[in-house]
Formats: sequence, C-alpha cells, structure tokens
Amino acid sequence: MDGLTQKTCTDTERASFAIRLEGISKSFSNGREPLEVLKNINLIIAEHAIVGLLGASGSGKSTLLNIISGILKPDSGQVCICGAGSDEFNEWRAISYMFQDDRLLPWRTAIRNVEFALEAGSLPKAERARRSRETLRLVQLEGFEEAFPYQLSGGMRSRVALARSLVTDPRILLMDEPFSRLDAQTRTLMHDELLRIHQLKRMTVVFVTHDVAEAVLLGDQVAVMSPRPGTIREVVDIPLGRPRDITQPEVTSYIQRLRALI
Amino acid sequence: MAELIEERTLVRPVSRKLRLDLLTQRMVLVAVVGGIWWLSSLSVPHYILPGPARVWEALQLIARNGDLWINLGITFWRVTIGFVFGTLVGLPFGIVLGANKRAGDFFEPVIPVLNTVSSAIWAIFAIIWFGISNATTIFVVFMTAMPLIITNVWQGTRTVNADFIELARVLRMPDWKVMTKIYLPTILPHFFSGARLAFGFGWRVSLVAETIGSSSGVGYRLRQAADLIRTDQVFAWTLTLVIMMATIEMGILKPLENYLFRWKKDAEEQ
Repeated sequence: MDGLTQKTCTDTERASFAIRLEGISKSFSNGREPLEVLKNINLIIAEHAIVGLLGASGSGKSTLLNIISGILKPDSGQVCICGAGSDEFNEWRAISYMFQDDRLLPWRTAIRNVEFALEAGSLPKAERARRSRETLRLVQLEGFEEAFPYQLSGGMRSRVALARSLVTDPRILLMDEPFSRLDAQTRTLMHDELLRIHQLKRMTVVFVTHDVAEAVLLGDQVAVMSPRPGTIREVVDIPLGRPRDITQPEVTSYIQRLRALI
Repeated sequence: MAELIEERTLVRPVSRKLRLDLLTQRMVLVAVVGGIWWLSSLSVPHYILPGPARVWEALQLIARNGDLWINLGITFWRVTIGFVFGTLVGLPFGIVLGANKRAGDFFEPVIPVLNTVSSAIWAIFAIIWFGISNATTIFVVFMTAMPLIITNVWQGTRTVNADFIELARVLRMPDWKVMTKIYLPTILPHFFSGARLAFGFGWRVSLVAETIGSSSGVGYRLRQAADLIRTDQVFAWTLTLVIMMATIEMGILKPLENYLFRWKKDAEEQ
C-alpha cells in the first residue's frame, strides 16, 4: 500500500474519521502534455459512513477511489486510513474493492469465487470455505454455492461479487459504480441489500456514481466533484432516514439540489 | 431467488431416445463401411484388398502370439515419452513467450518454421543422430508435439483477462499465485486442445519413424507385413490403431475435457 500513510489512530481520531485525504493531486501524462485529473482534494470520511463520490465522467472520481484503495499513487498529498499500521489492522483485509463489473472467474463456482478473496492470505482451506459459505448466506445466495457464473443471473452474479468483497470482513468497502450494469429493478434490490448488510457490518462505504438518484438513496454524505481538473465542489450531508424512496419529496429535493451542483 | 436462475441451468435430461438413436446411427455406419469393404474384396486378389474375414484371422493370429500387445505397448510407450517431453518443454516455453513480449517477438518466427518441417525430415535426422533406437521415434514425436503445444499455450496466454489480473492485484495476491490461479486456468483449455492435437500427431508420426528407424513397434511391423505382402496383417495393424485412437479419444480425452471445462457455456447445447 504505497499510497497510504500508515497510521495507528487514537480513539478520538477513530471517532472522527476512517479515511482522511489531504491535498491529493494526480496527473496522467496523456501524449504530450500532462492531464490534471485531480487537484488538491481534501476529504474526511467518518467511520461507518456511506459516502458517495458523485460526478460526471472525467471528474476523476474513479481515480480518487483507486488512490484511496492504494492501486494508484497520488502525485502529491496524503491518504490516511485510520488504524493502518496497527497490529490487528491487516491492510488487504481492511479495504475491499468492488469493481464496476462483477469480474467473477468463469472457471470457479460461486463459493470458490468468494474464496478467491481469501486466497492471498494464509487461512486454512476449511476456514476459507466456512467464511465464504457464511458470506454467501449473508447476500442470500444459500444453495447456489456450487453454481458457475454462467448459470447465474446478473443480480446473482453481483451478489457473489459483493460477497467476495465482504468475505475479508473489511472495515472499508470501496465501490466503483458497482451496480451500474444491472437493470433498474435489480439495482434497487442491490441497494437495499447493501444497506441491510451495512446495518449488520457497519463498514465504511465509499462508492462512485454518476447517478444522482443513487447517490441520494444510498449516501449519508455525497461529495460532488467537478471535472477537469477534478476537485470537490461541495460535500452535501443527506440526513434522511431509511428506507429512502425516490418518490419521497425530501429525496426529490436533494436530487434536484445535487443535480444543480454537477 | 430460484426463479432468477436461468432455465438453461436446469439439468438437461439427455433424452435416452436420442442416445439410442445416435448409437443406432453409428452401428449402421460401421455396417455400411464394412459391407462396402466386403463387397469390394470379393472381386480383387486378397493381397490387394483382403476381406474382413481374412483380416479378422490375421488379427487373431497376432493377438494370440503376443505380437500385437508387445508392439502396441512399445509404440505407445515411445509416443508417451515423446509427448511428455514435448509438454515439459512446450508448456513453460509457451507461458514464457506469452508472458514476456520481447522473448515472444524474438522467437515468433521459430514456431512456424518448426511446424512446417515434415516429420519425415525429422525422422531422417533422427536416424543420422540416434541410429536405429527408441530415441529416434521419441525424437520425432517430440519435435512434432512440442511446437504444437507451444503454439497453443502461447495463444492461451494472450487470452488472459487483464481485469482478472487487476482483481488479483487489488487483493494483493503474490505473482506466483496470479500464475497458478489466473494464468493457468485460462491457459488450460488451450493447452488441452494443443495436447490432444500433439498426441494424435505423435501417433501418426511415430509410425513413420518406426518404419524407417526401428526394429520394433507397430510401424516396424507394418512395414514388415507390407514387405512380405501380408496385406491382411497390414489391415489388422491399421484396424488396431484406429480402434485404440478412437478409444483414447472418446473414452478418455473427451470425457476429461467435458469435466475440466464444465464451466464453459456450451453453445451447441442451448
């Protein structure tokens, strides 16, 4: 995790944030001149929060997510993950990443796909299988352990991918437009599923989306990003109760407000 | 949840009737070919085209005196050794050439050249280098199988999905695990079809090698029978080979492939 400042945090810090971004900038050299993708991003994400990174394409929101995950290194600035570097905090277990597509390995059954996330570590095989089975039950896929990806519907594949990112019991779950390839109905189901699991597991969730409604329905907070170079225009709190529904007037008014900001 | 699962996942009951139909068809085919053979053999001398009965007798003769099993065993052993060496060299080479672009670009012209050199030429070289010995046949099988396996494995490495590599990286998987958990399963189907091809070719070229560079084996016996104008024995040996190859193909390789690659959507079954 090169991009991370490893940090053991005190109890007060833990109460105040899970992720802290300080002055993150990133450029890609695209041909002749460098393209500035992110410019001086500062953001504090509280523990247990669900935070949306909302922006049009080109606003650098996926890049920012990759920087938080450690896949990408920022040119300047710091990523602090609270608790990183402490003994009980094992990096690859602490942060999970869910891709835009389900990215299931076609030659593995559902349960073996979930186990894949544990195979980088050194858990014994039986323990890996036990945890994977349990996580598949959590995403309501009991009975489909031995199914191959091609035998599953889009929604079910998405559940397997979700189980794979949850099986390591992450403190932080990063999601890159995770349900954008599903149909509207299935997407709503997956939103409910994510929120239900969040109630149980209380992991911090950072998700990237270009869908304003999705941001409002899921987020405790939404960071609105503006493009070229990507900056955070405003962080909007959404203190609405759950379950939220697109037809509720409060939800609609937040959607309009955010839409005006993009 | 259950209704979400798509229909094609439900176990297809392979209809018993369909299977029986297929079996009947195959038997009719064998009967037709056998019938044509028998009819044609009636009007020509037996040293040109022996009839089924004569060939059956010849087959019984070589089976009874042990000739059949000994020579079949020797040839099988040589093919297997050549094939195993071909795999041991071809598999790692294919992976390295596929994974390392510079090495791949450099060696790219070698494979087509190896593939175009006739097995007969390898056989002649083998006789010059190894004389009349087991090594001659093994070498020819090796030189035929190895480029085939390299080519297929190499192509396989090109189909490795970069997204899966990224997934493994995000999970902080070490390189060797990426190799065994992403590369190998992707390459396996390609390797398998290459190996099947190589084994089949190996059998064919082993006979060529044995006819000119050996004093035992099916190929040697074939030439001997031809020299003595024992056409019935030539037919008997040929028949044995055909039956053996068909058994290996349908009895071992095909079921193994079906099992190993059961995760693939089977286009023709939908």
